[in-house]
Amino acid sequence: MSKQVDTKALADFLKPRLNARFKTWLKICANCALCADTCHFYLAHERNPEMIPAYKVRFISEILKGKAEINEAYLRKMYETLYYECNMCRRCALFCPFGIDIGIMVALQRAMLHNVADIRPAGLLSAIESYKQFGNQMSLTSEDWVDTLEWTLEELEDYYQNLEIPIDKKDADILYTVNAREPKFYPQDLQEAAIIFNAVGESWTVPSVEGWDDTNLAMFCGDLGTSKMLVEKTFRQAEQLNTKKVAITE
Amino acid sequence: MIHAVELYHDYIASGRIKLKEKIKVPTTLQDPCNVIRSGGLAEKNQKLAEMLSEDFRPMEYQGNYNFCCGGGGGAIPMGPEMKPYRVKCGKIKAEQIKATGAKLVFVPCHNCIDAIRDLNKEYDLGIKAVHFKEVIAHNMVIPEHMLPANNQDKEE
Repeated sequence: MSKQVDTKALADFLKPRLNARFKTWLKICANCALCADTCHFYLAHERNPEMIPAYKVRFISEILKGKAEINEAYLRKMYETLYYECNMCRRCALFCPFGIDIGIMVALQRAMLHNVADIRPAGLLSAIESYKQFGNQMSLTSEDWVDTLEWTLEELEDYYQNLEIPIDKKDADILYTVNAREPKFYPQDLQEAAIIFNAVGESWTVPSVEGWDDTNLAMFCGDLGTSKMLVEKTFRQAEQLNTKKVAITE
Repeated sequence: MIHAVELYHDYIASGRIKLKEKIKVPTTLQDPCNVIRSGGLAEKNQKLAEMLSEDFRPMEYQGNYNFCCGGGGGAIPMGPEMKPYRVKCGKIKAEQIKATGAKLVFVPCHNCIDAIRDLNKEYDLGIKAVHFKEVIAHNMVIPEHMLPANNQDKEE
């Protein structure tokens, strides 16, 4: 399931990333378990203590202290804890008396799994591959995207007049970006946004080539290279089209 | 950077959008972690839901302290692998929704809406989960110049 990794490789990944904030959090956690009742996983699993948020960051300390025996079972346990038992929703951080942000430390551990042990969910990997090849998570070409914008508008012709989705228009106030699932599965979302923007007379545009998918699933497994590439695509379009703001869909 | 929730809120609050009618059935509202806890739009999110509803019923912990629906952090794009886990932990969200008695839930996030639609089936909530823009597009006053020609003829 994974490539050969040892404790040192994992620790080497963690060390430069453990800034003062992370170090303080790891030291200061009193294991008071106030975070327990804030977690929907804990509550939905009959208060199973393994679901307590503070317990989900134990891998960092174990690896740094050399207490972890890195093998398939350990990596598997880490994967299941970090993906099946945490949504990184950060609710527990609001209730922690020290403000310890478990969600961010779960993200750090996920990044370690992805970057060092080559482990991440298949669903996220296929999204990453699509981002790299097509610039969006649904493997749509620029032609697919523009075609979809056009036919979704045509479908509304009997109900509305003068509807427009301005594509690559310069100097608009808003560069509107969507979730790539909209052109793929929910074109009515595009229609509804178009109706609203036209009705209020918004100055808006959508980019045709790239940067129109505002999802960033690479972030969820700590693939920051892909994550950065996606954000840059969007802001490059905003710059080229000279829009004032980037708007993101619901 | 501006999120659609803020745009739509500002359109209605400023009068750029006028509503023909509000939602009559009881409504409630999801607070997506990305938009609310990490995005800071708790107030505008709730105000928007209130402006669109005749009978808005906040869920327990509405706003920054709300629970996750189980769809966050990549759980939805993980597909069938994650589904049993997110449906199980989503029990807390299902109970929150049920307690309000709402028939319609505003959900301004694609991941949340997929997760909550699954919870609706699993826990038999009898709700409809919608994005804000669906309700706004259907309930807003459409300006004259956008109405179809035959409609205008009838009115004349």
